[in-house]
Amino acid sequence: MIRANDIRYTYRSMVKRYRLTLLTILVMATGLGLSVYLFAMLHIQVFKDLPFKDGDSLVQVYALKDGARNSGTSLLHDIDEIKKNVKSLQEFSIFRNVNLNVTGADGARRFNAVKSEPNIFQLTRTEPLHGRTFSAAENQVGSENVVVIGHSFWKNYYSGDVNAIGQLLRINGEQHKVIGIMPENYYFPVNAELWVPIRENAEKILRADAQNVFGLAHIKAGFNIDDVNKEIGLVMKRLEDRYPKTNSGVGAYVEFIPRSAAGDGIAIGYSLQVIAFLILILAAVNVGNLLLARTIERGKETAIRIALGAPRSRLISQILLETIIICVLGAILGVIALKFGLDLTEKITYSYSIDRPPFWWDFRLDQYALTLAAAFFFLTVVVVSIFPVWKSFKMDFNAALRDGTRGAQGRNDGRLNRILVMSEIFVTLTVLIAASVMAFVNQRALDADYGVDTSNAITAEILLSEASYQDAPRQAEFVETLHSRLTHHNGIHSAVIASALPGQYAQRLDIAIDGFEYSSEDSYAEVNYIATTVDTFQDLGVALVAGRYFNHSDKGLSKATVVVSASFAERFFSEGSAVGKRLRFVSENNNDFQWLTIVGVVGHTIQGSSLSAHGKLPNVFRPISQAPQSSLVVALKTSLSIEDSTKALREAVSSISPDLPVFKVETYDEKIERHTRPLEFITNVFLVFGLAAAVLAGSGIYGVLSNAILQKTQEVGVKRAFGATDKDIYIEFFKHGLKQFLIGGIPGAIVGSLMAFGMMQVFPVYLIDVIVIAFIVIALVLGVVLCATYIPTKRALSMEPVDAIRYE
Amino acid sequence: MSKVLIGLKNLSKVFQGDEVETHALSDISFTINENEYVSISGPSGCGKSTLLSLIGLLDTPSGGEYKLAGYDVSDIDKAERARIRNKEVGFIFQSFNLISDLSVEDNVELPLTYRDGISKEEARKLVDEALKKVNMDHRKKYFPSQLSGGQQQRVAIARAIAGKPSLLLADEPTGNLDSTNAEAVMALLDELHADGSTICIVTHDPRSASRAQRSIEISDGKVLSDGRAKKPTSSREETQHAHGQAEKSEAYS
Repeated sequence: MIRANDIRYTYRSMVKRYRLTLLTILVMATGLGLSVYLFAMLHIQVFKDLPFKDGDSLVQVYALKDGARNSGTSLLHDIDEIKKNVKSLQEFSIFRNVNLNVTGADGARRFNAVKSEPNIFQLTRTEPLHGRTFSAAENQVGSENVVVIGHSFWKNYYSGDVNAIGQLLRINGEQHKVIGIMPENYYFPVNAELWVPIRENAEKILRADAQNVFGLAHIKAGFNIDDVNKEIGLVMKRLEDRYPKTNSGVGAYVEFIPRSAAGDGIAIGYSLQVIAFLILILAAVNVGNLLLARTIERGKETAIRIALGAPRSRLISQILLETIIICVLGAILGVIALKFGLDLTEKITYSYSIDRPPFWWDFRLDQYALTLAAAFFFLTVVVVSIFPVWKSFKMDFNAALRDGTRGAQGRNDGRLNRILVMSEIFVTLTVLIAASVMAFVNQRALDADYGVDTSNAITAEILLSEASYQDAPRQAEFVETLHSRLTHHNGIHSAVIASALPGQYAQRLDIAIDGFEYSSEDSYAEVNYIATTVDTFQDLGVALVAGRYFNHSDKGLSKATVVVSASFAERFFSEGSAVGKRLRFVSENNNDFQWLTIVGVVGHTIQGSSLSAHGKLPNVFRPISQAPQSSLVVALKTSLSIEDSTKALREAVSSISPDLPVFKVETYDEKIERHTRPLEFITNVFLVFGLAAAVLAGSGIYGVLSNAILQKTQEVGVKRAFGATDKDIYIEFFKHGLKQFLIGGIPGAIVGSLMAFGMMQVFPVYLIDVIVIAFIVIALVLGVVLCATYIPTKRALSMEPVDAIRYE
Repeated sequence: MSKVLIGLKNLSKVFQGDEVETHALSDISFTINENEYVSISGPSGCGKSTLLSLIGLLDTPSGGEYKLAGYDVSDIDKAERARIRNKEVGFIFQSFNLISDLSVEDNVELPLTYRDGISKEEARKLVDEALKKVNMDHRKKYFPSQLSGGQQQRVAIARAIAGKPSLLLADEPTGNLDSTNAEAVMALLDELHADGSTICIVTHDPRSASRAQRSIEISDGKVLSDGRAKKPTSSREETQHAHGQAEKSEAYS
């Protein structure tokens, strides 16, 4: 039973050693704050169920290519087969993410939207705030155009007027009737603000004419996601056998929507959680060690209190009281830091998302984070209390009252200290190797050369509407006119109009090269395909390696020329020149056997993130006038400000087509950074974690080891009394330090390296990287161990032997 | 004529505190011959333990001259001091100071591990001899925490004599023991002296001091008197009797 006196005593004791108290609280706050932050961040972004009723059973169907999860769409007919044959799924729906241009009084704007079947809203168990959702009849081709709008769209576009229902909205050049308004924060499935009927039915469209879609469904009660994926695997295998030409290597899988973004990188998520937990353990061991040092320091005082009649249980409750107070203060500080970290994460996340981030990313301090913090708090209290309470139980207080009889307890203390040191070394190496490899991978991606000069360049995107630009000649004419107007504008030095710029994800297509033999459909090579204006390479500073750049002779729908990247030439024509050779595209929708002649080889440009498979694929460029596109990106090399450039671009576009919005206006550097910023953020998180782990680990190892040596000061004195020289003592302690380093370090290095090897499966980290990083980390930790051995040993040896013998 | 083993001339020790300078010992001069049994006594804080530390090279004097076993040790380096301590001095402490991580035999072997040119076999032989001498050879695999206070001190004595030093220094060797065990330890020291050891014991117990041949009394850091101690009262028979009593009391504990 704790009394008021105990509280006063604990308070006095904490204030008396306020530096140690503050340090202990800080270590506790760092450990708890960091580990809960990492768990909370992953939970918010990846592991959380969607915030709807039955959100824990709602899954999306994604495509699988050659066994790799690519989070892409599947053919409508394949999804229809899954819907009909997979018995573990129910309430099936299909949708496709689209961008829609909405024209209003102030011009055209582009919005993230979804084309879907009517039941998409029922799947989320969500009713509209006003009006209704679309009916099955409205999902039929030829019925009236209708649209359901999101809450923020309603607020911004109609100022929250309920009379918006029934009004007409011009979308992609056609009038749509507003029939419903969804509630606030409803952006399902990711960040949609408009929903229109998809009007695609597998039974009414030929397989060859069908487009790709996503599937959505609930898992039936009694089944789990593995059961569903097994069933889907069987269905897709049957389809592969039936349609070898289109379905070879094509599969599908279901995944919870938040988790799908992580893809195969989910392993990294689990690794991060292990690291987060180890950091908590590291902090707990350090706090425990600091409290143990306090208990040892107060050993004699405690013995006197027992001699004066204090029951041992009361002394232990005093120790526990102090432990709990320190842990509570540490936890409060940790939770405050956690809140700050989550707020900062939200700001950073929004800064790298040009559209709004997925709607379930809610970085508020929620019940999950608080429950986890509470659970970690209790775990820490238990871990932390073990050491001082154990010490108090084991301490022979009678002996402690006599002069210098610590030897009788020293053997147990020594064992505990060794266990502490080895645990610290194990956890430290595990965390530091894994975190360092992760930070290294990310840093390498940040340093990647995208192969393009992005200086003084402004970029923007344009989506040609289906209604006005349905065929290739019209699309080609738009590009040609826009290019001409832009390049004639004062202050704009050059203009590139492409399907994707270097640094952006491009369409991936299979190719066949003339003269190469292909045993089956799936042996074709995959490349990034970019359609672009002919002066692109000169304008963006992409070096010519062989042959020539595109020129005006390559313009025209009837022409068939391509330029390939150096990576392409190296891969397919390592001996001899690629120039003059021919290739053709063999993708489902472009299987016309038209041979394209390679006229030049240019430097490799990274399309997408340098960490992704996209970034490593060789590139094939084709003049956009030969293969026009509806989704365009513009890059202007200009001396104008971003505002003036935007104005010039908007004027040029609206002078051709008033309904077309120009969106995602930003500098080229910002566009590239948009890929790298999440990575930069993750790298920074890892650096913070690595740094915190290094400080916790370094100080922990130093603290535990030096405390252990400090407790052996008397032993050092005795050994010197019997003739041990300073060298003998150093050798002895270094041997002990190294032994503990090896016992704790070998498993730590193995576990840390295994985690790093796990990352190799997902990220381009090489064995040699892991080995070098592991060696550097091992050397650093060994350095800490040697310092933590040398400094206190030197201190003990600086005393006269007689002082060391009497040392307490 | 016995050889001089210890020669002190005007030895002094000053402790320099933050504000206060404490003169623990001033102008200490005396000699101790080989095979002498000397007790140093005096009230608490008089400097007797400090003097023993200086004699045992556990501390450095602030002034004066000191010769030990023919070596001038007033101004030698740390490594040489360690070597001389190892070869010439054996310590017995009040609080035993056995190393808890080491077994009885390893504790006893400790001084030999720091001595050059001694094989493992020789060391083990010397350890066995020393343990037999203190009647602790049956406990050589034990750890200190498994022994009684009396047994721990006998192991400490074995450790002190294992390397066959010229000088045994005992600082209040019975201070932590009950009377039976204290008597056994003192009898053991008598026995060692009888076998030829030079012993210097610091004690404030007049009965222990009286067992020595010579008594040096210290007061306020100075030698107050130096002369023959009162004849020890215990005989050889009494020594054997004390051994037996100590064994019995441990057997029942």
